[in-house]
Amino acid sequence: MTSLMKKLMLATAVVAAPMMVATTASAEGEKYILVSHAPDSDSWWNTVKNGLALAGDQMDVEIEYRNPPTGDLADMARIIEQAAASGPDGIITTLSDYEVLSGPIQAAVDSGVDVIIMNSGTPDQARKVGALMYVGQPEYDAGHAAGLRAKGDGVSSFLCVNHYISSPSSTERCQGFADGLGIELGNQMIDSGQDPSEIKNKVMAYLSANPETDAVLTLGPTSADPTLLALDENGLAGDIYFGTFDLGEEIVKGIKAGVINWGIDQQPFLQAYLPVVVMTNYHRFGVLPGNNINSGPGFVTADGLEKVDLFAGEYR
Amino acid sequence: MSEAPSPALNGDERIKTRSRFREALIRPELGGIVGTAVVFTLFLLFASDSGMFNSQGIMNWSQVSAQFMIIAVGACLLMIAGEFDLSVGSMIGFAGMMIAIFSVTLGWPVWLAIIVTFALALAIGALNGFIVVRTGLPSFIVTLAFLFILRGFTIYFPQTIERKTIIGGVKDAAEGDWLAPLFGGKIFTGLFQWMGDAGIIAVFERGTRQGQPVVDGVPMLIIWALVLVVLGHILLTKTRFGNWIFAAGGDAQSARYTGVPVNRVKILMFMTTAFCATVFATCQVMEFGSAGADRGLLKEFEAIIAVVIGGALLTGGYGSVIGAALGALIFGVVQQGLFFAGVESSLFRVFLGVILLFAVILNTYIRRMITGER
Amino acid sequence: MSSNHNPIIEMKGIEKHFGSVIALAGVSLKVYPGECHCLLGDNGAGKSTFIKTMSGVHKPTKGEIHFEGKPLNFERPRDAIAAGISTVYQDLAMIPLMSVSRNFFMGNEPLRKFGLIKLFDHEHANRVTLEEMRKMGINLRGPDQAVGTLSGGERQTVAIARAVHFGAKVLILDEPTSALGVRQTANVLATIDKVRKQGIAVVFITHNVRHAMAVGDQFTVLNRGKTLGTAKRGDITPEELQDMMAGGQELVALEGSLGGTV
Repeated sequence: MTSLMKKLMLATAVVAAPMMVATTASAEGEKYILVSHAPDSDSWWNTVKNGLALAGDQMDVEIEYRNPPTGDLADMARIIEQAAASGPDGIITTLSDYEVLSGPIQAAVDSGVDVIIMNSGTPDQARKVGALMYVGQPEYDAGHAAGLRAKGDGVSSFLCVNHYISSPSSTERCQGFADGLGIELGNQMIDSGQDPSEIKNKVMAYLSANPETDAVLTLGPTSADPTLLALDENGLAGDIYFGTFDLGEEIVKGIKAGVINWGIDQQPFLQAYLPVVVMTNYHRFGVLPGNNINSGPGFVTADGLEKVDLFAGEYR
Repeated sequence: MSEAPSPALNGDERIKTRSRFREALIRPELGGIVGTAVVFTLFLLFASDSGMFNSQGIMNWSQVSAQFMIIAVGACLLMIAGEFDLSVGSMIGFAGMMIAIFSVTLGWPVWLAIIVTFALALAIGALNGFIVVRTGLPSFIVTLAFLFILRGFTIYFPQTIERKTIIGGVKDAAEGDWLAPLFGGKIFTGLFQWMGDAGIIAVFERGTRQGQPVVDGVPMLIIWALVLVVLGHILLTKTRFGNWIFAAGGDAQSARYTGVPVNRVKILMFMTTAFCATVFATCQVMEFGSAGADRGLLKEFEAIIAVVIGGALLTGGYGSVIGAALGALIFGVVQQGLFFAGVESSLFRVFLGVILLFAVILNTYIRRMITGER
Repeated sequence: MSSNHNPIIEMKGIEKHFGSVIALAGVSLKVYPGECHCLLGDNGAGKSTFIKTMSGVHKPTKGEIHFEGKPLNFERPRDAIAAGISTVYQDLAMIPLMSVSRNFFMGNEPLRKFGLIKLFDHEHANRVTLEEMRKMGINLRGPDQAVGTLSGGERQTVAIARAVHFGAKVLILDEPTSALGVRQTANVLATIDKVRKQGIAVVFITHNVRHAMAVGDQFTVLNRGKTLGTAKRGDITPEELQDMMAGGQELVALEGSLGGTV
């Protein structure tokens, strides 16, 4: 029995150790929490984390990054409530589903926490929940702009590889693209899942079943990287029109190699960096820009890739 | 029920008298009780000034724990009856989506949408159970199939009908409905208003709700959790049916030979799990006003983990609803508490794994003591 | 001896076919109250099929079962239990993780009214269990002691006591001694004797002649789905029984080489 008790105490100590370390590592100054909707597996958010960390360092404020591990938005609502309960100076959060998140965000605002909406959501929704501002790229508009551009390049059908089908903003990108092209979305959007080999095989299967497809649209590195491999394998690389949202190392290489025609950069770095800077200055000096900030869309093509190349996956 | 054995019964020299401590150890709830004490002690020490124990913070981890409790009760009873249900998480997504489609897309009254969804969920639970008892296949496989089937429908239906994967507007549809508040409402609002006025709990500092308490009542979610735990506990320990649940999971064949309707028990337990998942889903949909295709991901494992932390054996035949509820409480408090303590969120999984491992080792040890095997 | 009574259960010309396999080819048997009827046979002789027919698990392909003089037709095991035929299976008697008292009342839970609902009457169950166990000579630490802590013989005894308590008139014991040590076997045999003295008919299935001779009043040997006749106690020697079980000749030769120890 005694050995059991010893084991119990040992286990407790092991478990508790990281907690004690973490609690002592808090800095002085304002505290801001960034809540995202991204599941743990989404690598794109690394840039956001880096931007957040850099802003925290430069402004000398305490920052924290939170996300629902599985991408469940109901869990995210709880995280926002929790963030509000811990009494930070401000919360920076995505608004990927207004219905689910508006309640907790509004409650946070009303209990005295300043909120900036980043990434997902619309400027209109941000205003409705009482946020200071919106920093990001309106998804539908970005998709629409991309669609218009593709139309000009002669595209009339496409495949949208949606790796995050449960997020409305992902679907909006595809829908906007279809509307920009002036065609029905219909079955051209596939639910690819998050697993790279699954995505690759689904893309190959779709393209061999629908050989008349003009273009491929991916929604980020998660779907773009495997799609690049798929196109390599079925020989369509460089032949089929390929546009993607967001940037990443492989995407940059793809653009350089001419496989990807363009990438839509919403500059996630700014989405995390700017809100921290804006809020810190607001809390320190009471100054606040009078408008929302559009961090994107910017089309990145083979021209002018130098900086992007240098910082891809880190700050770009 | 344990009375001290009378001296006359101690005639057999082979029976060693057991210490009280050992006696106390042979309870399925033990792990849960110890764990709860440890977890609360730690967080009181390391996170007491972080907002974890103010009204908002308490409500936060209570709600998360209550969610786990609701599905843990079903999973616990089913596990004691000797089966698993891996489709719990998908059922949460599916049931929520059905309510949203019925009430928003089809325009049915919300009470009807809720009732039909419950009926549908119970039917799917019964089908799960029926397939398991009829084919004799492991429930692990059968419900794994339903994990995919239900999740697939949860994505397919809204996508084909509404071209999106989240259906909102349930809150508006539920306005004035008589059944919806039973899941999405709050009670004791007067008490909380009074506490807010008296300055005991925090109130909103600005906005339209200025002066109102930040925590303005106990959500029905928590009431459901408590009611289900109490009912589950009574059912399991105090009724004939409870004895049958233990028997069905302990050794189905022996139970059959003594006349226990094992198949019926198992099918009913699958239906109970489905019921609990639907309660979870309904509360969530009513609170957030929308149903999403990604709701409930991985919740089946969270339910099973809570049950195992609570002392139930994965092999069935042994466990406790109270234990499972404590397991859910530990789970919820740790998950939310690590945040308050300022721990990097990815460490939550490490913590969870350690607790799980520890709970399983403790459970195995306890079982060996019960059955006397070595 | 009460052999002149009417038999409580009579099996007449029972046949059981599983597809093309004939498991029982016409077995007849009479069991009398207050007697221990030993059913002997080697592995595969059809003992299990026969007792499963008697306890309602299988329906006979041909033949009749008379219970207390009336023809019977069991649809389910429950029917047999309700009629008073209880079966104690070798290793399927008890659920180790459950307490003795919960096991004892499994399927026959005592109920107590609590308002509108009926609850398991644990108090009653515990009291009765302790009492019955004491009668059988087993001292429990308490009624909530798990069955898993009991020895194999004690488990068999609990199962027998359970059957008797719930009004068994015929008690079928499926190889209750086959996995037990000497001491535990003696305990189970003593229990059989106690039960028989209460006027209950016992059907004792075994392939151990010495165990059968210790308590049996009548002996029926099954071989390859057929009965080789029934003998009364005193009419037959252990050696004869052993020979009949093995089907005669081969064993005589074997026995010679083993020095008569089989």
